[in-house]
Amino acid sequence: MKLTVSHPSHIREGVTIKTIMWSKIVILLILSLFSVVVFGLQALALVLVSVLAAVLTEAGIQKLTNQELTIKDGDAVLIGLIMAMLLPPDIKLWIPVVGAFFAVALVKHGFGGLGSTLFNPAIAAWVFMNMSWGALTGSKSIPHIGEYTDLLMEFGAGRLAEVSSVVLIIGGLYLIYKKYIDWRIPLLYLSSTIIVAVILGEELSYVLTGMLFLGVFILAPDPTTSPITKNGRIIYGLLCGIMTVIYGYLTYNYVVAVLYTVFFANAVAPFIEKNTYPKPVNEVPK
Amino acid sequence: MTTEDVKKVKDKEVRKQVVIPLLQHIGTVCEPIVDKKTEVLIGQKIGEGNDEFSVPVHSSTAGHVVAIEERPHPICGSVPSVIIESNETNDTIEFKTSKNPSKEYIISALKDSGVVELNGYSLYNMLTSEKLIDTVLINISFSGDVSSNCAPENITSIIEGMNLLIKASDAQQGAFIIQKDDRQLISAIESGLFEEADIEIFTVEQNYSPPMANLLTYEITGMQIPNTCTPLDAGVLLSSASSALAVRKAVLEGIPQITVNVTVTGAVHNPGVKNVKIGTSIKEVIDSCGGYSGEPGKIIMNGIFSGTALSTDEVPVIKSTSHIIVQSSDEVLHEIPGPCIQCARCVDVCPVNILPGRIASFADMGMHDECFKLHVNSCVECGRCVYVCPSGRHILQLIRYSKTVLQQLLKYEDETRTSGCLTCETPCLASTPFISNGGIL
Repeated sequence: MKLTVSHPSHIREGVTIKTIMWSKIVILLILSLFSVVVFGLQALALVLVSVLAAVLTEAGIQKLTNQELTIKDGDAVLIGLIMAMLLPPDIKLWIPVVGAFFAVALVKHGFGGLGSTLFNPAIAAWVFMNMSWGALTGSKSIPHIGEYTDLLMEFGAGRLAEVSSVVLIIGGLYLIYKKYIDWRIPLLYLSSTIIVAVILGEELSYVLTGMLFLGVFILAPDPTTSPITKNGRIIYGLLCGIMTVIYGYLTYNYVVAVLYTVFFANAVAPFIEKNTYPKPVNEVPK
Repeated sequence: MTTEDVKKVKDKEVRKQVVIPLLQHIGTVCEPIVDKKTEVLIGQKIGEGNDEFSVPVHSSTAGHVVAIEERPHPICGSVPSVIIESNETNDTIEFKTSKNPSKEYIISALKDSGVVELNGYSLYNMLTSEKLIDTVLINISFSGDVSSNCAPENITSIIEGMNLLIKASDAQQGAFIIQKDDRQLISAIESGLFEEADIEIFTVEQNYSPPMANLLTYEITGMQIPNTCTPLDAGVLLSSASSALAVRKAVLEGIPQITVNVTVTGAVHNPGVKNVKIGTSIKEVIDSCGGYSGEPGKIIMNGIFSGTALSTDEVPVIKSTSHIIVQSSDEVLHEIPGPCIQCARCVDVCPVNILPGRIASFADMGMHDECFKLHVNSCVECGRCVYVCPSGRHILQLIRYSKTVLQQLLKYEDETRTSGCLTCETPCLASTPFISNGGIL
């Protein structure tokens, strides 16, 4: 009889990195389907190219450095997919290839791979592409949620993520229900955005775009780049909401506001985390 | 001869043996007071300590002592044990019964009967520690304890045990702590308590295992107890259903703690609750439950979240055993830990509000000073962080590793200090982080 000896716990909940990543991927794939309906096959090509570029970059790096291939955990696919969501459909297809390489090679593996990234690779790559080829990555249209049906299918969308808020909302609520993401960041991000926008007298139809919901449910609660402390996540969510509205209020562009906000919030997340370390309940004050 | 006859003959040839470890509590190992070949009776004292930190051990079977030697122990590696071969009789010593015991009688009865809590503390030491006790809490939220000892016929005995503890400790009040979902048990205790005015029922959300005593006391009384103290320092005597039963038996019937109720679950043919003599090997307990179903892969004592995995099934049942779980070889986890993705799921489930995943990562890198700053010593080792970790990281193992290293460093620091270390005036020779950080300890 062979007995295994190990430390507790002796069972697992069954949620793995794979389940978390792939459920996000499924949500974004449904969103891509909607974008194909709106933009046509251009959108499909963009999604395929950026996912493929991200996956190939990851595979190449892991082959070169003799690491175990981790394509199956879905992180590279997710990076490529999110990056495609941030771009307009009529983009020249060499740009997402460069972007995916930048995201996976420099922002992900350059900082130590999965779990060690400082910035969300997809957003960092978008910032890089936007800085480098601003004229080519700009969108032709800015979404405006004039009617309720626009939440389901927005034909005035400029980027892939903006086509359907409903998919992202339902998907995000599913992720929260399953506890794949924490509820604090989405709740505080969304509510603080709406409150500050109303205080400043902004029209919510320009604020509540698909990009905001992508930010609220996928980009901001990204596990690695958000703070791990409970209070830190609350501050992080509030910061995201306030920054988004300030940026949007000053530039009239709430789409780009979300991306730059999350990029900025990623940068200050370690600082927030460091200042919100929790006090253990059995620690007696001196 | 049929196979059954062969079995009977075999049973007669191999007399049943019990292995009674002389250490079944937190403290020093007892000295055996019997010799080889001594005839012993059920309930006879076979081991006793010289100092206040030991708890007497009694024979759970009648027979003669075969050997006194080191044998495997479920928790402590191997400890000196008394091996008694049964003579198949039920001869007992004379048990002293009592109808209406006084406080002094209860305490002396507890001293002689060696009642030990599930977390290894001696009840007698707790009662005589000269600390003022104003509350007696009986924790029946631990699933292993509940399934073993809280059968309907035991409820009145548990309440009697509670009353004895209140009397012995001069406490003003008592309370039972029950898990919220366990409505059956709540109503059973409620109906048993109808005439006891000073005993209350508290409900809690989670399953509190014995090591989480401080946390449970905080939840009930609101008193924060640091990890270097016990609930006793806050005037709370925290006990369990199994001890309450043992107290009643020891005081009213005079029977020392020689049997425990053990729940056997998992990959066995007839899972259930068994009343087991202390010293019986786990293997015999499982055989009495119909034996293993399939190839066993892991045997876990006392809870699937925080229990100990046993290296062999030849170890004896001891006083603090309450639950045996058998996992078949397919159920055993063989995962390779991945990187921490900082999803903070461990932070969300942590009952003491620390950052388990971060501490584990620092421990993995050997940065134990950082672990200390993140309050690694506050961890109560409930195992929930490991349960939810999506990367399958061995968080609890790393936390325990860090705790051990910190203890050694602390010891080293104490030694260097007495030998004239100029605490941090000069660059530290031992490069112990605590000293160089200004001696936070």
